[in-house]
Amino acid sequence: MELLEYQAKELFKMVGIPILPSLTIQDARKIKQLQIPYPVVLKSQVRSGGRGKAGGVRFVANTIDAIAAARSIFNLSILGEYPEVVLAEAHYNAERELFLAIVLDYDLRCPVLLGSAWGGMNIESLLANLQQVAVTDEFSLFYARHLAAAMGLSGSLICSVSDIIAKMYRLFKEQDLDLIEINPLGVNHQGDLMALDGRIKINDHALARQPIMETLNFSAQQRASCYQDAWKINQNLGQVSWRWLDWHQPTGKLAMICNSFDSALLTWDLLEQNKVVPACSALIENSLADEVRAAENLQSYRDQLLNILQALQSLPEIKVIIFNIWDTFAVNREIVQTIVDYCADYCPSSSEVAVSSASEQILVNNVNSVDNSTSSTNNNNPIALDDDSELDSDPAITDSNSLQFSNSKPYFVLRLLNQESIDDFPRSPQVYLSSNLEESVQRAIAVVKSSKSSKSS
Amino acid sequence: MNWFNPKKVIIQGITDYQATVCAVQMKAYGTNIVAGVSPGDGGATVEGVPVFDLVEQVQTTIGKVDISLIFVDSYQVLDAVREAIAAGIRKIIIFTSRIPPQDTIELIRYAQETNTQILGPGSHGIVIPQKVWLGSLQPQFYQPGIVGLITSSRHLGYEVAAELNTANIGQSMIVSVGNERILGSDLAHWLATLNKDPNTKAIVAIGQRINQIKSIIAYSQNHDYDKPVIVYMAGLKAPQAKVYRDAVTIISNHLSASIPIVNRDRQTVKELRKIGIKIAKKPSDIPLIIQKALAIKSSK
Repeated sequence: MELLEYQAKELFKMVGIPILPSLTIQDARKIKQLQIPYPVVLKSQVRSGGRGKAGGVRFVANTIDAIAAARSIFNLSILGEYPEVVLAEAHYNAERELFLAIVLDYDLRCPVLLGSAWGGMNIESLLANLQQVAVTDEFSLFYARHLAAAMGLSGSLICSVSDIIAKMYRLFKEQDLDLIEINPLGVNHQGDLMALDGRIKINDHALARQPIMETLNFSAQQRASCYQDAWKINQNLGQVSWRWLDWHQPTGKLAMICNSFDSALLTWDLLEQNKVVPACSALIENSLADEVRAAENLQSYRDQLLNILQALQSLPEIKVIIFNIWDTFAVNREIVQTIVDYCADYCPSSSEVAVSSASEQILVNNVNSVDNSTSSTNNNNPIALDDDSELDSDPAITDSNSLQFSNSKPYFVLRLLNQESIDDFPRSPQVYLSSNLEESVQRAIAVVKSSKSSKSS
Repeated sequence: MNWFNPKKVIIQGITDYQATVCAVQMKAYGTNIVAGVSPGDGGATVEGVPVFDLVEQVQTTIGKVDISLIFVDSYQVLDAVREAIAAGIRKIIIFTSRIPPQDTIELIRYAQETNTQILGPGSHGIVIPQKVWLGSLQPQFYQPGIVGLITSSRHLGYEVAAELNTANIGQSMIVSVGNERILGSDLAHWLATLNKDPNTKAIVAIGQRINQIKSIIAYSQNHDYDKPVIVYMAGLKAPQAKVYRDAVTIISNHLSASIPIVNRDRQTVKELRKIGIKIAKKPSDIPLIIQKALAIKSSK
């Protein structure tokens, strides 16, 4: 979880890292309540970097300027993100700017202190002069002095900068941070220090034990990113859940459904080695079913699977859906039964497709598919409609498509890894069943290739 | 006592649903689960296993414990590991994943100071087909044989085992090291263990990210091993989220996403080849590579 600047500064304040007097505003007119003498800096509170260059930081000399500038900042999206809050802060005359950070190093397995005497916006010279000290044992102030000396600091700055680093380290340990950064740390002509900008990242696995999470106000964007992680944390045992992987290839003709990220990677590899890139991939996860919950689990598995298939109906380009699932015999059987039934009744009506969840929306948006087809028509076949309306404007292509796949049924390749025999599973002409991965992948590729050749001919 | 012959095993966090399921399966297989530990549930039994409040109480009642399997919640793992170490247990498997990394770092430090071996976090355990079952890997997918599997991924382990079974080569041992960013013992550590195991004739290391494999290069520079080592990595080209590990790369990427990060994957693969490690492109390649390597070795 990455904190916004003003949230990071609230944490700085807790441990005594000096910050400027400031006011956070949610509305441009609130700037009138500002108690800080002008000139003032207004800063857009967004997570993405590079806001200075994008116009998200403005210097203002009086209230009238400030209201206008605040308005324009609220209306300025930086990499797609609008600020919910603008930070108004006093101006600071820094003679020099330093860079300080603490990061968890996964190779060294310890926090590393980082510093550069060239702080500020010029990242290249900052990095060219970056110094580091690994904290290999219990932290003590001398680690910080080592960094300060390596940065080329001298005189009273050695001690004052080390003191700031020690406070940063305290936050790092207590709040389970992945990263804490002050850039720039302003130094004025008297040698006083001021944290002018700061970034903090709390480790996602530690969020639930950090009381600070209760006191900070999170923006919609922050909450959204946190919500995705919460999915993984909140999944209950004995439950079935599914989600899309972040893999999208709008022109792909194949969809993947796997039951673990690793098997999705493996399947992706094998397809890629044959120059086939999947359109999308779904993960369906089922914590190992025991006898007691087996029955309700199977119903849930069936429901979730049908949800995925329904979402895939919005992707008319998909000709084959490959499964790579390792699960119990009962679950495997349920999967086959669900698919065979689905193939038998596949005749989507507008009401069926109208069900949509947030994740389906994401998919639909990402593949530039049609999301209005559900509401606009009573046509029984939204896929044919999609072809006509937006995806393929070339009528010849649409024709050959509808010739080859008149019912637009995708073909199913089910690869079920299990010891028991799959011979007595239900069958359907639309379904290929195997326990061998590479045979299954070859089969799926053959379907993709045949659909290509029918298109070009 | 070693991993190959565990005599007395306890489960910390036995009342956890997953732990209970595991305990039932392991007991049925013959693993000697002598006790469970779950603070507040002392005196109860879970599937016939007596439950204690403290690890120390198990030791005084039942005697010296060889291995503890830890299933407690992620925020309790550090404490559970420390309790096990304090009670004198020197072999620990952590099944819990998503542990805050600062906790993992600390528990590894305690382990090193006391010469304790840690497998995990996020491990699925160890299987020696038809002999030992510790954890949640499903032994019915393995056959006794000559190949040691060290894997960061449970599913990829099954895939490779399925290919080995088809080729009638089988497995001598399967170790799931876990997939957390910081591990108590990595692929290279287990390479050393399997290299000494007389039943293992060839070793397959299965990874999902190249940096999991890198430790093997460092290991091979300081150690001799005479068994064929095969590396299989899934998803090298797949669109995985990038994971940066060292402080400077992490901060560079954080300061500006546009700073180019040198991709060393190809170089790492080259280095692996240079030290004689075979790289499998897909699971079905593995039995062929092993058969070839063993044939060359026996003809020497």
